[in-house]
Amino acid sequence: MTPSEIQLRVNGRPSRIDSVPTDERLLDTLRWRLGLKGTKEGCRTGMCGACTVLRDGRGTLSCLLLTHEADGASITTIEGIGSDPVGRRVLDAFDAAGALQCGYCTPGFVMALTGLLREGGRSTPVDEMLEDLGGNLCRCTGYATIVRAARSAREEGA
Amino acid sequence: MPAFDLVAPGTSDEAIAELRASDPGEVAVVAGGTDLLFDLDDGRITPRKVVSLRRLPWRTLDWNGPTLTVGSTLPLRELENDPELRRRIPGLYAAVRAVGSVALRHQATLGGNLGRSAPASDLVPMLLALDAEVDLVGPKGERRLSVDRFVIGSRRTALAAGELIRSVRIPEARPSAYLLQRVRPFHDISHMAVAVAFSPTDARWRVAVAGFPPRPLRFPEAEEALGGSTPGAADIARAAEALATRAPIVADKRASEEYRRQLVRPLLARAIAATRIGDR
Ligand SMILES: Cc1cc2nc3c(=O)[nH]c(=O)nc-3n(C[C@H](O)[C@H](O)[C@H](O)COP(=O)(O)OP(=O)(O)OC[C@H]3O[C@@H](n4cnc5c(N)ncnc54)[C@H](O)[C@@H]3O)c2cc1C
Ligand code: FES
Ligand code: FES
Repeated sequence: MTPSEIQLRVNGRPSRIDSVPTDERLLDTLRWRLGLKGTKEGCRTGMCGACTVLRDGRGTLSCLLLTHEADGASITTIEGIGSDPVGRRVLDAFDAAGALQCGYCTPGFVMALTGLLREGGRSTPVDEMLEDLGGNLCRCTGYATIVRAARSAREEGA
Repeated sequence: MPAFDLVAPGTSDEAIAELRASDPGEVAVVAGGTDLLFDLDDGRITPRKVVSLRRLPWRTLDWNGPTLTVGSTLPLRELENDPELRRRIPGLYAAVRAVGSVALRHQATLGGNLGRSAPASDLVPMLLALDAEVDLVGPKGERRLSVDRFVIGSRRTALAAGELIRSVRIPEARPSAYLLQRVRPFHDISHMAVAVAFSPTDARWRVAVAGFPPRPLRFPEAEEALGGSTPGAADIARAAEALATRAPIVADKRASEEYRRQLVRPLLARAIAATRIGDR
């Protein structure tokens, strides 16, 4: 039968979550059960990247992940990313470049970029890193500053 | 989406038993879920039980000489990050990178792409050009099927009730290329795609096209026109002409037949030019 309790480590803290319906998405668990509303819902269809969180260090679309499927995983959201050294660097780069307008896409970009830099860092050519950010959309079209932030976060990771 | 039981067996025998224990219409399988969740949301399927493959030991990747075997539940990003893939099967590397975004590929799997069997799949055409096979496990044991026989149409495959894709076998690393046309280069659905591969063993080309219904397919007439390892401009033009005029390309809601027939010529020519055979 379906286990009713789920264990997640969220931003470093173990949490047990009771009676999560099998069809609940991690996005909703984070926002509505755990109150972590920094993770945004843009499209709910995997197209915009606003809901990106790190699952075991890798960028994942929380709108397309059943919470039960993440049982046992370590999840990092925008609320916890500042404690990760790479995440800190990405936050600082976004800050320095002024890489946000309305800010709705920002948590997703920060999580996606942190995941990419942790995966490949400077071994990934810069063009490929920018291609790899293609899954995140900015409705305000503030791409020039986002790209500047991404380049500088990558450079500083030398 | 009505609630369902979610089970995550740890062995393939248990997974098959879970599938057999339910009426085929009442059970579904989830790998990455990036296709399945839409079918659940739409109400296209209304399973009482969903069998998750996440605990099965199928997240594997093995090179054995020229042969690559990819476990069905390996996230596509891990296939992409394999240090050998890019060099040894460049067409498959390009096709994998064409699927969605990085975050999507951390979830999506090769088994799921074959299970969904979409007409615009970016992986099926490349697998066809590589003569790939699927290894299936089910209540009656194991069997191996070519991808060509496995894929039937959108959401239609040769999987029998209770059967699962365990792995995908690519018999031979081949010089290869994958090119596509979309509205946006990344993270969009391909309107037209061409996969080519050259087999060093029989010195013949494979050409597959995709993007239109009912399914991706090989086109032998173009393969023959290309001849051996170094097709000339006239050979490539004949192959492109065969595809553009005689391949069973059709329109759908994304693109017209005429547009697709025009696209296929430059896509084929560029794919052949991009394929590096030896020092050519
Ligand atoms: C935003 C977005 C963008 C996308 N872009 C692309 C793209 O560019 N190109 C492309 O080709 N696809 C694309 N897709 C489709 C999808 O991501 C892929 O088809 C993916 O490979 C599916 O894998 P999955 O593990 O998520 O499958 P799931 O959703 O888990 O499964 C899909 C189907 O296969 C069955 N299945 C899964 N694994 C097995 C198995 N081992 N044995 C038997 N049956 C199985 C399931 O029951 C289900 O019917 C996109 C999807 C989204 C949401
Ligand atoms: S909300 Fe998940 S990708 Fe848009
Ligand atoms: S800053 Fe508004 S959506 Fe990107």
